[in-house]
Amino acid sequence: MKRLENLPTLRIHPEKTLRFEYRKKKLKGLSGDTLASALYANGIRIFSRSLKYHRPRGLYSLDGESSNTCMQVNGIPNVCTETTLLADGMQLEPQNISGSPEWDMKGFMDNLDWAMPAGFYYRSMHKPARIWPIALKQVRKAAGLGKISPDFQMPGRYDEIYPTADVCVIGGGPAGMSAALAAAEQGLRVILLEIRPWLGGFFDYRTADNGNGTSLAQSARQMAQQVEQNASVRVFTHTTVVGVYNNNLVTAFQKGRDGDSFEERYLEIRATSVVVASGCIERPLLFDNNERPGVMQIGCAQRLAHTYGLLPGKQAVFSIGHDLGLEAAVDLSDLGLAVACVADIREDGQDPVLLAALKERDIPFLRGWVATRAQGSKTLNKVTLATKTGTLTKEFACDLLVASAGMTPLTGPLSLAQAKLAYEPYTGFFIPKQLPDKVQVAGRMLGLNSPASIEASGQLAGVIAAADCGKSVEGRLQEARAQLNQLPGPDQGCKLVTAPVQGRKTFICFDEDTTIKNVKQALEMGFDATELIKRFTAAGTGPGQAGIPGHNLPLFVAQYHGDTQATAMPTTMRAPLVGTFIATYAGSNHDMCKRTPVHESQKNAGGIIRRIGVWERARYFSEDLSCREEIENVRQNVGLLDASTLGKFRLWGPDALKALQRVYVSDMSKIADGKVRYSAMCNDDGCIIDDGVVVKKAENDYYFTTSTARAGATVEWLRYHTRYDGWRFHMVNLTDAFGVINMAGPNARKVLGKVTDADVSDAAFPYAGYREFMIQDTIPVRSMRLGFVGELSFELHVPSSYMQTLWDILLDAGKAFGIRHFGLEAQNVLRMEKAHLIIGSESEQRTTLHDVGLGFLWDRNKSDAKTVGAVALKQTENQEDRLKLVGFKMEDPSRTPKDGSLIVDSRIRGHVCIARHSFTLKEPVGLALVDAPLAAEGTRLQIYEDECNGQHLHATVVPTPFYDPEGKQLKM
Amino acid sequence: MALTLTCPVCGKRNGYEFRYGGEEKGPRPDEADLTPQAWCEYVHMNKCVAGIQKEWWCHKDGCGVWFTTHRNTTCNLEVDTPEAQS
Amino acid sequence: MLRKSKRLWGDQAALKSSYDAVIIGGGLHGLAAAYFLARDHGIKNVAVIEKRFLGFGGSGRNTAIVRANQRTQQNVPLYKEALELWPILTKELDYNLMFFNCGNLNLMHSEAAMNTARMNVATAQFHGVESHLIDAKQCKELVPALNISKDITYPIFGAMYHPPGGILRHDAIVWGLAKGAAKHGVHLHQQTEVTGIGVENGKIVSVETDKGRIKTPRVLNAAGGYSAALSYQMLGIKLPISVLTIQAMVTQPLKPILDHVVSSGTYHAYANQTLKGEIATGAHMDAWPNYTTQTTAYYIKHQAEALSEMLPCLRGVKFMRHWGGLADMTPDMAPIMDGNNLIEGYYMDCGWGYFGFKSCAATGKYMAQFISSGNCPEMLKPFNLSRFEQNRLMGETAALVNYTPDN
Repeated sequence: MKRLENLPTLRIHPEKTLRFEYRKKKLKGLSGDTLASALYANGIRIFSRSLKYHRPRGLYSLDGESSNTCMQVNGIPNVCTETTLLADGMQLEPQNISGSPEWDMKGFMDNLDWAMPAGFYYRSMHKPARIWPIALKQVRKAAGLGKISPDFQMPGRYDEIYPTADVCVIGGGPAGMSAALAAAEQGLRVILLEIRPWLGGFFDYRTADNGNGTSLAQSARQMAQQVEQNASVRVFTHTTVVGVYNNNLVTAFQKGRDGDSFEERYLEIRATSVVVASGCIERPLLFDNNERPGVMQIGCAQRLAHTYGLLPGKQAVFSIGHDLGLEAAVDLSDLGLAVACVADIREDGQDPVLLAALKERDIPFLRGWVATRAQGSKTLNKVTLATKTGTLTKEFACDLLVASAGMTPLTGPLSLAQAKLAYEPYTGFFIPKQLPDKVQVAGRMLGLNSPASIEASGQLAGVIAAADCGKSVEGRLQEARAQLNQLPGPDQGCKLVTAPVQGRKTFICFDEDTTIKNVKQALEMGFDATELIKRFTAAGTGPGQAGIPGHNLPLFVAQYHGDTQATAMPTTMRAPLVGTFIATYAGSNHDMCKRTPVHESQKNAGGIIRRIGVWERARYFSEDLSCREEIENVRQNVGLLDASTLGKFRLWGPDALKALQRVYVSDMSKIADGKVRYSAMCNDDGCIIDDGVVVKKAENDYYFTTSTARAGATVEWLRYHTRYDGWRFHMVNLTDAFGVINMAGPNARKVLGKVTDADVSDAAFPYAGYREFMIQDTIPVRSMRLGFVGELSFELHVPSSYMQTLWDILLDAGKAFGIRHFGLEAQNVLRMEKAHLIIGSESEQRTTLHDVGLGFLWDRNKSDAKTVGAVALKQTENQEDRLKLVGFKMEDPSRTPKDGSLIVDSRIRGHVCIARHSFTLKEPVGLALVDAPLAAEGTRLQIYEDECNGQHLHATVVPTPFYDPEGKQLKM
Repeated sequence: MALTLTCPVCGKRNGYEFRYGGEEKGPRPDEADLTPQAWCEYVHMNKCVAGIQKEWWCHKDGCGVWFTTHRNTTCNLEVDTPEAQS
Repeated sequence: MLRKSKRLWGDQAALKSSYDAVIIGGGLHGLAAAYFLARDHGIKNVAVIEKRFLGFGGSGRNTAIVRANQRTQQNVPLYKEALELWPILTKELDYNLMFFNCGNLNLMHSEAAMNTARMNVATAQFHGVESHLIDAKQCKELVPALNISKDITYPIFGAMYHPPGGILRHDAIVWGLAKGAAKHGVHLHQQTEVTGIGVENGKIVSVETDKGRIKTPRVLNAAGGYSAALSYQMLGIKLPISVLTIQAMVTQPLKPILDHVVSSGTYHAYANQTLKGEIATGAHMDAWPNYTTQTTAYYIKHQAEALSEMLPCLRGVKFMRHWGGLADMTPDMAPIMDGNNLIEGYYMDCGWGYFGFKSCAATGKYMAQFISSGNCPEMLKPFNLSRFEQNRLMGETAALVNYTPDN
């Protein structure tokens, strides 16, 4: 197709040819083309087949209001060809076709519409029941548009930015640009977002005079230049607004162009004030075959010519309801389009200048007429026009029908900002009754049509936005208001909902093939609310995001009910307003995990690392994951465990002890100097949530540890439970400031003795003691003698910066004593042999301190402390039928039950929390939470494993700990 | 929605920096003569006001303070003048 | 198919001044209770009062996943019965509920999580519900789009695979139950708001609506997200509920790519493909009460990040629609079904959080039994309100729930 040349409005670059493939055919387009314009230039008219009826579909609008022109591009489904710029080497495939777009083997479906009334699938395919699974497969196959391969990898880089602004203007047309300039004039930082690759909006492609001798296109370019040169305005073009959230958070995505480092980037903008100047799209005209390729909207036809140099047809008929249609008829006729007839739905109200221009060109003009039927089996070849009542008809041969019922504002951003929309009878628009706080509206969406009014309304909105930002603009405000008031107000809108047709082939929603007849069927079935009709007929739920049915559906429903249209309510808009890639939303990878200071050296020593919560930790040091050597070495020699992830806190101040008494179940006033105190925290249900040790470093100055999982929440927890008390204490989370090494095993003292001058003998530093001393005269450590794994052990807390050095020193000093690493799984087995519990493993959300056998930690004599959980502990102390934690041994020692197996009789009585073959005891042992009546020593437990086919294992409840019940090992 | 809250220390901040701490129910009751019903009421029961409620928040990813504020649960906005408080 | 369309749930009846039972809430639970009351218990003079339109709330906002692989023996039988009811109801209601029995994969991302999942699997098997633990390779065979490499934040170790689960068309169930209830004489009053509940001498006597007063001896509170506020405002009964907004979204429609429901607690995301071809995905709740049903930018981004790792091919797919609904969460993530004790004739079926869809039909059946007899059926007894007073939370969740400050 030959392009129109020398138009001042063109956005293509004829000197730069781009190559692409469509259905494996090599084609050429121009730089600046969208995929759709390039295809159109190559004579492609049928872009796809429709979802249900496989009707041919083509170019109808240019802003992606329907899925008509969506294609598979470079393996990516549902790419909107109307808004995607052509790039060299692209590969395009049409969607939803069987055969070719022109010869589709499922085209016959169009004749079967009688078998598919609204909601037919709810009423069919289920009788008899056995056909449903078969029908289901067919339904799945028929549904969906594009394809994605399971191993598809999205190429390119996706970025994100989080700019802030005083004023965020949505829409870079004349109103938006005016608003941006007016706000910037007040010294504010403005962000201007425009969906197209350039500023200018609906002025950009129009050669009509703006009233002062320059064309609209020319004045838009001048204004764009002003905006781009204004240092206070940050312009984002090719940027689609997808979300508006309260407190004026606006989300959008920008498409990258040549030279950008990203394919697309996500924008999250926080602004004080938002100006919505998103303009209008056209309201589709409803008549038979209203979506036949060859039928298109005014802006589509005009932009094809002016932006892309493509005359949209040869012989055209116009059926419109707005002056823009008249302007386009004159304009396109001047560019060489033969216009057979212009039918205007309106009886009067047309711009006399435009009527005169039509007459001058001998273009027949029909008042109060409308298209009722498009003909042509694949593409348009004839149009029937009729009077609005349908009494008189005329036919015209043509290959282009420019059809539009009028304008409809793009209220998506307003709707998402929680503005309640209402029908405005003069314009026929849905506009907000009341604007949300600090949200302004400008331009065409108010029904304005005169260029001067549109610009003035933009200026006014910009000034009000400045007032939102706290600027005193009283004078400027009055001036802007006065200026707008003397200019023409909103145009009266065309109210026609449908042409006089039965509606069997009148499509109110293209994406879902929903006809007027379907909507009537839904209404007859009692689906009377628009929202219900949307759900029942699926109208407006496709990739076009209700762009086609959004305005017409509520109007039609209101008309059906015989209501004045004033009661019409649009369906709820949802973000994203435009389909947005998951890759774009994801942006760059945000994962952050924590590693301990000795992460690398553990990894180098063969540590198998696992992500556990926010941390990466060494779980195993044995290839087979059995941990046998690690475990045996701790029992026989000495092992090193990196326990740096433990929560570590300093709590001090005059009321520090009170705070401890509030959250710990034990009496914390009894902590002896130089001793550690083991205790637990409960929640107010008495359920155990944490355990750890507390050290009193000085009067009202404590150092305590929590489990890894609670490290993040503990400061908050203490402050929450003391929030009414006004107590004075400070807390510092030292978790990352200190590393922790647990050195455990019979040889632990020997190793420690080699590296410190401090007396670490049992007499000087007994079990449960706390000491501070130096390692090699340099490294200060806080040391605790604890016994989580059941051996003599020293827990060494050391400033993180010294952690690696201390680790290396100990490994070195321990060589002679058989020191080696052990990981979390080895610790897990070692502590289980001692029946020491891990919160979350042997406890669950509903288990109390009593249930897990730690009730002895609770001190009932401190009710003044109002200890968290104490009330519930008292209430549940003697409660029956609770779960109890027990130890068990297997009857058949060759079988270790799997963790998570059930304890059962005729019903479920509990479950195995952990069970392992104990290398130390040479038999399997485990811990289980069971119903209290089963907790007595000697009780036989039936264990039900998954996939056991009814074959139970048997175990016996035994006393715990399994290993070293007297605790000799840890008190060495 | 994009909740913002006004921390008494740090000012107006993104809502995701905060942790919700429940409806305002007053200080912990005395333990003496406390019935299970009264305790359960304090710990678990909520009014679930659809409107303005006084509630606790912690600026967890900020200064760490716990504070009360009034928020309208039907629009998720903080309110300055909680006359309509129920 | 050829007949002229009839009104699905009959002609709109006028609001009568007296009903044998009034059900507040025209969602799945209310409609199911009404249907079974009228069908099985001879209580046909029933009104369902709905403030907006049928299925406006959670019933039309969930992502329609069903399964019976819960954690405890109190829950599994109820959900099992619910699963078995779908084909029966499809036939009974003569309405295609579009049960797609695709099975559910609940991904596990650590050895410990696999062990935790074993308890659910064993519980299901013990109750005769099919459920298996499978490894990462088996996951990949079932869902080829899954990323089982080790270089993601939370590598996949395996999954709990539950073949009997799947998805339905939520709206179809709403409309089908409405149709069935109406057929048995139930009156469905949409656009009608309950403004008060009359109690005299500890007994329910009436329900006030904006369309007039209804005399009735029985009221069921099945108002979903609004049930707790209603209970407190109209009866002064506080419930252990926090009302949060839960969000979900769909992508543009695709040809079949996901043949199962895939979910991950760790990634806090699930995804399934609807019969229309959209990938429905969700799970997040902002952890503060609100009644807005508004969505957040924070969450759609989070979901994109999660899906980018779990199902990376979806990066080339577009999100199309994001919405929110209300979840009335209890501290132990189990519902509250109770009644006829605090006030004679007052029943509640609430606290269903985000899981009220899965068992709605079975629950309706038992609630109908409860309401008609005044006695709580065995199946529902564990869900009583007094469990909170007795510090006997249900074990439906092993981990601490993190949406309240009390944990």
